[in-house]
Amino acid sequence: MEITLKLTQLDPTVRAGLAVLFRMTKKRARLCLGILALFASAMVAHAAETIPPKPDRYFNDYAGVVSPGVAQRFNEQLAQFERETSNQIVVAVWRTMPSQSSIEDFTQRTFRAWQVGQKGRNNGAVFFVFVDDHRMRIQPGYGLEGALPDITCNEIIRDAVAPRFRANDFEGGLSAGIDLIFKAIRGEYKGSGKTVRENASSQNNPAGLLIFFFVLVIFLLAMRASRRLGGYRYTGGGGPFVSGNWGSGGGGWSSGGGGFSGFSGGGGSSGGGGASGSW
Amino acid sequence: MNKGLIGCLGIGAIILFVVLVGGCAVAGSYNRLVGLQQKVDQSWAQVQNVYQRRADLIPNLVNTVQGAANFEKSTLTEVTNARASVGRVQLDPNHAPTDAAKLQEFQQAQGQLSNALSRLLVVSERYPELRATQNFQNLQAQLEGTENRISVERGNFNSAVQEYNTAVRTFPTNLFAGMFGFQPRPFFEAQAGAEKPPTVNFNFGSPAPAATAAPTP
Repeated sequence: MEITLKLTQLDPTVRAGLAVLFRMTKKRARLCLGILALFASAMVAHAAETIPPKPDRYFNDYAGVVSPGVAQRFNEQLAQFERETSNQIVVAVWRTMPSQSSIEDFTQRTFRAWQVGQKGRNNGAVFFVFVDDHRMRIQPGYGLEGALPDITCNEIIRDAVAPRFRANDFEGGLSAGIDLIFKAIRGEYKGSGKTVRENASSQNNPAGLLIFFFVLVIFLLAMRASRRLGGYRYTGGGGPFVSGNWGSGGGGWSSGGGGFSGFSGGGGSSGGGGASGSW
Repeated sequence: MNKGLIGCLGIGAIILFVVLVGGCAVAGSYNRLVGLQQKVDQSWAQVQNVYQRRADLIPNLVNTVQGAANFEKSTLTEVTNARASVGRVQLDPNHAPTDAAKLQEFQQAQGQLSNALSRLLVVSERYPELRATQNFQNLQAQLEGTENRISVERGNFNSAVQEYNTAVRTFPTNLFAGMFGFQPRPFFEAQAGAEKPPTVNFNFGSPAPAATAAPTP
């Protein structure tokens, strides 16, 4: 009795959806449970992996060594650089390396997972810094190995960044590092005036559409079920399901107006070039 | 009579259907195997590329180190010898090796060069004035970058081979793989002793560091 009472308080669409679930045969329910369990195990497996998730901006200070204003400025600089040259430069600052592996192995796998650089051009580079480990690495993608060879990476780290880091001037060191990377690779490729994310949000995202249709189908099923149950006719407009923005992955991140420029990997890859250094 | 004709036509249609479906399946598997094999060959070319890159660095490295006052001769000759024996084991850069023994030989020669190079870098610690030169620092950065590229490309090659081998060995592709001459390919084995860190001899008074790497049988 209690359950039914509570059920009546629920939103009509949710109630209808629950009704559909109850009408399922036991076998189907078991299948659904199986699928859910599979998803859950996939998520657990994902959590065990040490690769950090894709960053949503170009400048990522996970260690908190740079003031928010400066971080914002760096981020816009890096986004603007992609608009002009299509080169994707990402900076990631951690306290310690989130992995037991060697720095080169960790940065290589992270680079691959983040897909920095445009597909086909592979013109990305990531500047990794591990503050408490006193280690850093500049790693270019395949397409920037010519403009940013190991010697150049090594020189940037050794001569420009490390001395500033040693003096605890992280803003200065990062700024110098970013500027020198820009200087080395500017002119290698031409940009389209837009970042990967800006391009993606101006087009229709097929994944978003798919989710939209999926929700629509569930919605229609629920309506049919509710009609059969008690002659209840759902006449409301949108309903709670459709109110979200399913169309694009990052409509809200565009530049201007206090927001920050978001980063999306273009599908680039790296072959393990670059140099590491310490301070 | 009429019934028989219809029956024959029906059986014919079924056979045609089976042949068509079967043909499509075979063609699909064949195309998949060709694609995977090409991926293996591509990543092998990359492996050869990065090994060549390392080999190309060595003359410059040897010249730079020779310039240093009384640099230990034995370490240098070891590098040059290893470089020469690497040159003797030539494999086709465009097609991944099909013979496991060939790949083994290749890997052994390259492994010897790796050992000789890392020993040279360790020995160079004793020559601070050499390490301070711009030329040596650049070479060291290049060598480190190249060693890392080698391990990355070896990893890529291994995963490409593994994907291909899995396809060759599993049902249903394995039914046609042998027919069309697709054989499983060898891949890089983990270096013997790579799982434990190398022992570094800090006793600089002794004439030459004892052989740190276990001799490979």
